[in-house]
Amino acid sequence: MSNIDRRTLVKGSLAAVMAGASFSRAAFAQSSEPILLGVSGPLTGPNAQYGTQWKQGFDLALDEILAAGGINGRKLAYQFEDSQSDPRQSVAIAQKFVSNPGIVMELGDFSSPASMAASPIYQRGGLVQFGFTNSHPDFTKGGDFMWSTSVSQADEQPLLAAYAVKRLGLKKLAVLHLNTDWGRTSRDYFVKAAKEHGAEIAVTEGYIAEERDFRSTLVRVRDANPDGLILISYYSDGALIARQARQVGLKQVICAASSVYSPKFLELGGEAVEDVHVGTRYFPEDPRPEVQKFIAGFKKKYNGLEPDAFNAYSYDAMNMAAAVLRIGGTDRRAIRDAFAKVKDVSSVIFGTATFDVETRRVKGAMNAELVVRKGQFALWDGKPT
Amino acid sequence: MSSWLDYTINGLIVGNVYALVAVGLALIFGVSRLINFAQGSIYLVGAYIGWVAVVQLHTPLPLTIILVAVVAALVGLIIERFGLRPLQNSVRIAPLLATIGISFVLDQLVMLTFSPNPRALPSQLPDVRFQVGGGTIGPLDLLIAGVGLTSALLLFAFLRYSKLGWAVRAASQDRDAAMQMGVDVNRVNQAVFGIAAALGGVSGLLVGMYYNQIDTAMSLQATLKGVVAEVVGGAGNVPGAVVGSLLLGLVESYGVAVFGTSYRNLFAFLLLVVVLVLRPNGLFASARQAPPEPLTGTFIAPSRPLRIPRWALLVTAAVFAILPFFPVSFYVLQTLINAWLLGMLALSLTLVAGTVGQVSLGHAALLAIGAYTSALLSLTLSVPVGLAIIAGGLMSAALGTLLISPSFRLRGHYVSIATLAIGEIVSLVILNWESVTRGPIGISGIPPLSLFGYDLISPASIYWFSFVVMVVLALLQGRLLGSHLGRSFRAIRDDDIAARAYGLSLNRYKSLAFIFGGFAAGVSGGIAAHLYSYINHETFNTQQSILALTVVILGGLGNVVGAIVGAVALVGLPEVFRIAAEYRILIYGIVLLLLVRFRPQGLLGTI
Repeated sequence: MSNIDRRTLVKGSLAAVMAGASFSRAAFAQSSEPILLGVSGPLTGPNAQYGTQWKQGFDLALDEILAAGGINGRKLAYQFEDSQSDPRQSVAIAQKFVSNPGIVMELGDFSSPASMAASPIYQRGGLVQFGFTNSHPDFTKGGDFMWSTSVSQADEQPLLAAYAVKRLGLKKLAVLHLNTDWGRTSRDYFVKAAKEHGAEIAVTEGYIAEERDFRSTLVRVRDANPDGLILISYYSDGALIARQARQVGLKQVICAASSVYSPKFLELGGEAVEDVHVGTRYFPEDPRPEVQKFIAGFKKKYNGLEPDAFNAYSYDAMNMAAAVLRIGGTDRRAIRDAFAKVKDVSSVIFGTATFDVETRRVKGAMNAELVVRKGQFALWDGKPT
Repeated sequence: MSSWLDYTINGLIVGNVYALVAVGLALIFGVSRLINFAQGSIYLVGAYIGWVAVVQLHTPLPLTIILVAVVAALVGLIIERFGLRPLQNSVRIAPLLATIGISFVLDQLVMLTFSPNPRALPSQLPDVRFQVGGGTIGPLDLLIAGVGLTSALLLFAFLRYSKLGWAVRAASQDRDAAMQMGVDVNRVNQAVFGIAAALGGVSGLLVGMYYNQIDTAMSLQATLKGVVAEVVGGAGNVPGAVVGSLLLGLVESYGVAVFGTSYRNLFAFLLLVVVLVLRPNGLFASARQAPPEPLTGTFIAPSRPLRIPRWALLVTAAVFAILPFFPVSFYVLQTLINAWLLGMLALSLTLVAGTVGQVSLGHAALLAIGAYTSALLSLTLSVPVGLAIIAGGLMSAALGTLLISPSFRLRGHYVSIATLAIGEIVSLVILNWESVTRGPIGISGIPPLSLFGYDLISPASIYWFSFVVMVVLALLQGRLLGSHLGRSFRAIRDDDIAARAYGLSLNRYKSLAFIFGGFAAGVSGGIAAHLYSYINHETFNTQQSILALTVVILGGLGNVVGAIVGAVALVGLPEVFRIAAEYRILIYGIVLLLLVRFRPQGLLGTI
C-alpha cells in the first residue's frame, strides 16, 4: 500500500467495500459495529499534552481510513482511557481492555513506567500492546504481543551524529539530554556514533523533565569549550535551552534530535532557535506522497496547524494498526501474527514500514536534515551557519 | 575564576524567580500556619491570565500586571472564603488537604480551558541585554528582582506600620487573643490571601515571560521550590523567604557547577534538610522566638471515631475475600489490587502521621526503597520473590527510619517538609546511583509474584495475595494500637512534653513507629515492583506521597479501617469517573473538597 495517490486509494477502498460487503453477507454479519482499539495514554497530569497530540494524529488517520472504506468495510474506532502515564492506572486499564472482548488491540502507553508495567497483563491476556512512542530498549522484550514502531534510538542517533559531525563538521560536542530512559539511551547511542565519526565529547549533562533553568548547566557547557551543542530534548525543554544558551552568550552551533520537531519549538524558542539544526524523519516540503498527504490533511483538519513529531507518530501508528487489522481481522492472536505479515505500510516516519520479526520493531527511519531559517523549518542547504 | 562569578549570578537570578512564590507562601504561613499547596495553582492561573492579556488583548505591561494581580487576588479571596474559612474550627490538618484539593481543581480548570499544550508568553520588555561576567542579564531579570524585593519590603512595612498589618501579626501570634481584642480575624485572613494570591499570580506571569513558556504542569514544581525556599528562610518570615530563595538558587547553581546538572535538586533538598535539622525555625528566626507550632496537640485533634461493629468488619472482609469467585471483571480486581497496595501504604502513613503525629509527605520513598530492594534481590541474586518482598519491607523499615531520624526533633508542619525533602532525595539518589539502580533506564524484567515456587499470575491470585498481606498488616497494626505502645504513640502525638515528662523516650517510640510503618510501605512497594515487572525513578513519585496523605486524612488519621476505606475510595473514584474523560480529575478534586468540608475529621474519624 505504499505510494498511492488519493484516486487509487478510493478505487481500492471501493473494491474493499464491495468485497467486504459480499464477504459479510456470506460469513459474518457484524459489519455495522466499528472495530475497537484501546488507547492507554495521558489526557490529564504532567504529560497531558502528548495525549492530546496523539488524538489529533489518530483522528486524522481514522478519517482517511474511513474514507478509504474502513477495515474490510467496517469502521475503525478507538477508546481512549486516561492513564496520566501512571503505572497504577495503566495496569487497571490493561485489565479493562483485556477483559473487554470488543477491544482487538491496544495502543500506548506514553511513558516507559506506565507502558512496561502493563506489558505482563497484555502478554498474559493475549492482547497486542502496540507502543508507538516506546523507545525503551526492553519494551518489546516484554513478550511476543509487544510491538513498536517507535524509532529505535540505535537507528536515529547515528543519523543525528552523522549530521552533526560529518555534515556540519563539529568536532567537540556538548550533549544535553533529558535524564529519562529515552534520553539516556539516546545519549549513549549518540556518543558512540559521534566518537566513531571522530568527534570528541566534551561534556554530557542530563537534566530532569521538570527543569526550566539551564543557565548554570550552560556555564558548565561553556567551560568545556565545545564547538557544538547537541540537544536530546523534547520541544519545550529544547526551546528553553536554546533561549538560555543565547542569553548567556553561547554562540555555538546547536543540533537537536527529531523530538523537538514541532511548531511549538519555533513558537517557544523565538529568535533563539534560528539556525538550530534538527535531524528529523520528514519535513514539510518532503516530496514523498505520504508526507504531503499527512501534512495537507492535518492542516485542513486542524485549521492550518502544522503537525509535529508526536502527531506523526500517532498518525503512523493508526495507519499501521489499520494495515494489521486488514490482514489479521478481529481475532487477537491473528492480529499478533499479522504484525509479522504486514509489508511496506506507507509511513511518514519510515517511508514504508515493515516489522523486523526478531525485535518486533521497525528499522530504517527516513532522514531529513533541517535547519530553522526565518522562523521556519527548512531543508538544510549545506551552508554553514 | 570568572565561572564562579557566572554561577553566582545565575544562582541569584533563579533564586529571584523562586522568591516570588516563596514570599506569598511565607505570608500565608505567617498568619494561618498553613502550607498553601494552592499557591502554585494561583501562579499557574496568573500565567494564563497574563497570556490572555498579552496575546489576546494586547495590553501594555503595567496594565497586564495589574489585571493579573486583580484576577489572582479574586481567586485568592474565593479560595479563602469558600475553601478555607468553613474549615476554621475543624482540625488543623483539614485546610492542608483542602488546599491540595483546590490545587487539583484550579490546575484542571486551566488545563481544560487552555489545553495542556505549552504556550509562548512573549515578554513585553525591550530585548536589550547587559553583559555581566561571562553572561548577560535582561530587563526582565531586573523587573523580577524589583518585584520580589519591593513586595518583600512593602509587606515588611505593611506588617510593621499599618493597622491592618498589626492585626495580621496579632492574629498570627495568637488568634484567640487577637479576636478578644476586637481584631476581625476573617478580614485579616482575607487581606493576607488576597495579597499572597496577587503576588502568586504576578510571579506566574513574570516567570512565564522569563522562560517565554507556560504550561499546566508548572504549578507543582513552583510550590515545591517555593516551600523549600520559604522554610530555609524561616517559615512565615517574609524577608527571610527572599533570602532563603536566593540561597536556594545559589546552592543549586554551585551544585551544578561541582557535580553536574542531574544533581541539582539533590542539593536543594539537602539544603532544606540541613537547615531544618540545625535551625528548625529557619535561618533567620531568633532563638528566643516562640515555637511556631502549638505546644500541645491541636495539630491533629482527636474526634469521636465511628465505631464499626466487629461482625460488620468480618462480613465485609469475607465479602472481599470471596469476591474473585463471583463473575467480576479482571478490571475490578486489578483496581482493588491497586487499592490494597495503596491501603498498605496508607496503613503505614496513618500510623506514622495519625497515631504518632509525624505527618510525612515523602512516603513514596519507602515504596521505592522496598520496590528496588525486592526487584534487585530477586533479579541479581535470584532470591525467591516472597523472601525478596519481605527483605524489601525490612530494608524500607531500616533505611527509612535511618533517613527520617534527623527530623525526629521537628514538630508539626516541619516534619512534613523534612519528609517531603527526604522523599525527593531518595528519588534523586535512585536516579543518579546508576551502578546499583540502573538510573533512568530503570529495572525491567522483574520476575512475577510467586509464593513457595508457584507463580501468582492470574488476577485472582494476585488479588488474594495482596488482600491477605494487607489484612495481616492491618490486624498487626490494630494489635499494636491496642497495646501500651499505641497509648504511648498517642501520648506523644497529643502532648510530647507531657509524654517526655512521663519518661517516654520520644525518639525511640518514633523510631518504632517508622520501623513498623516502613515495613508495611516497603512490602507494598515490593509487591508493586513484581506486579509491574518494570520500575524506574518515576514509578514512585511525589504525587504518590500526596495521594497517600490524602487517603489517610480522608479515612481518619490513625484509623486502621479508615486507611483501607480511604484507599478504596481514592483508587475507586478516579476509575468511576472515567466516563468523564478529561474532566475526571476535576470531579475528583471537587469530591475531595466536599469530603473535607463536611467530614474534616475523616470518614471514620481520628483515633
